[in-house]
Amino acid sequence: MQIDIHDNGAFGSALVHLDPTEEFVSEAGAMFRASDNVDIDVTTRSRSSGGIMSGIKRMIAGEHFFFSRYSVTDGQDAEIGLAPILQGQVALIECDGDARWVCAGGSYLGSAVELNIDTQFQGLRGMLSGESLSFLTVEGRGPLLVNAFGTITELEVQGGLTIDTGHVVAFEDSLDYSVGKAGGSWISSFLTSEGIVLHFSGYGRVYVQSHNPDEFGRTLGPLLPDRNS
Amino acid sequence: MDYFIHSRPSYSLAEVTLNPGEQLVTESGAMAWMTDNMRAETSVRGGIMSGLSRRVLGGESFFQNTYEAEGAPGVIGLTQGQPGDILAYEMDGEELLLEKGAYLASSPGVTTNSDFQGLRGLFNEGMFILRVTGKGTLFFSAYGDIQEIEVDGGYIVDNGHAVAWDSTLDYRLTRARKIRSFLFSDQITMEFSGRGRLWVQSRNPRSLSNWVYPFRSVKSSDDG
Repeated sequence: MQIDIHDNGAFGSALVHLDPTEEFVSEAGAMFRASDNVDIDVTTRSRSSGGIMSGIKRMIAGEHFFFSRYSVTDGQDAEIGLAPILQGQVALIECDGDARWVCAGGSYLGSAVELNIDTQFQGLRGMLSGESLSFLTVEGRGPLLVNAFGTITELEVQGGLTIDTGHVVAFEDSLDYSVGKAGGSWISSFLTSEGIVLHFSGYGRVYVQSHNPDEFGRTLGPLLPDRNS
Repeated sequence: MDYFIHSRPSYSLAEVTLNPGEQLVTESGAMAWMTDNMRAETSVRGGIMSGLSRRVLGGESFFQNTYEAEGAPGVIGLTQGQPGDILAYEMDGEELLLEKGAYLASSPGVTTNSDFQGLRGLFNEGMFILRVTGKGTLFFSAYGDIQEIEVDGGYIVDNGHAVAWDSTLDYRLTRARKIRSFLFSDQITMEFSGRGRLWVQSRNPRSLSNWVYPFRSVKSSDDG
């Protein structure tokens, strides 16, 4: 499997080349181009996390209910182009099987079928804050594609680092992390709209995005006509 | 005519230099700036009916502007309404099909006509596409990055991501449908076949507007 990242300015995308026996999974609907020997199956299950309940968990996690799964039909090489909705970069993470990766719900673009995807629900504290605290855990060996709103920066945590949840793309599970507040209290945190942060400690890699998609949505949403509930 | 496209692909702007007497036809609204020796003429190119069909059918504007450099070389900067790529393509008698809204500008030897795509276009972004023929430079644009694909046999493009293609290619709309997907939306795709070039865009404005939708305020019930 060969993956080319088209890192073209504000509009990153990935072109995944598949051998005849290889398969790939993506966020449903992320495929924008493909060779005609690719079969697209919309599925609720990635490898080990099958079934309707994990689909519902994914829906709670703010992800599409379905994954798209791509396989090759005719024994030839195939290709699939994947792109996120928003402007921004796409990055390839080679999961080596040692550490699990945790990926923010909206940052997952795709992964090799060998990787197990599961969801972690971060609980009531996340809900109360109004931020969607949802993460997918990615386990196994193989390529993982993530997307960012804006640019992606890789940070090496050595000791401690605090990151606003809206800017977290993915991080290694070797890190300890706790959900917390940026300000002195929950109220001041709410008032300054710094929201919820993740406190990381230990050693590991974190990918962050320069812009927070929810902030962008909250900028545009009120400018548009109301929607019907 | 000479041109340079700045800031590809994110914020592309085509800077076109015309020799005295040379002309450039543009989509109305495409001009960002120009030197003061450029004479602009707004017309319904090809007459009222052709303009109407282009507007109603092709999604392009009813009016087109023709710019001509007078006395000295003139320079004009052209952009599209959305951030994204602009491609300059030298037409040499072949025929290209352009998705709705992709046309930006062309030299006078290039002609554009709207084309009814029949029922297969019903699920398309627009039911009609623009048929471009002739000789000269064509500028077309897209939301996102434009990628060129050499099709030999078949290729699949998500609906809303095709920008332009050689008329030697045929296409039909299909659904990536499996029984398990009946609950949620199918992915409608354009399936191209034949031999020729195809240009796709890496982003889709419709997906962006769908993404923004949940951030809108909820209409309160007493508003009626």
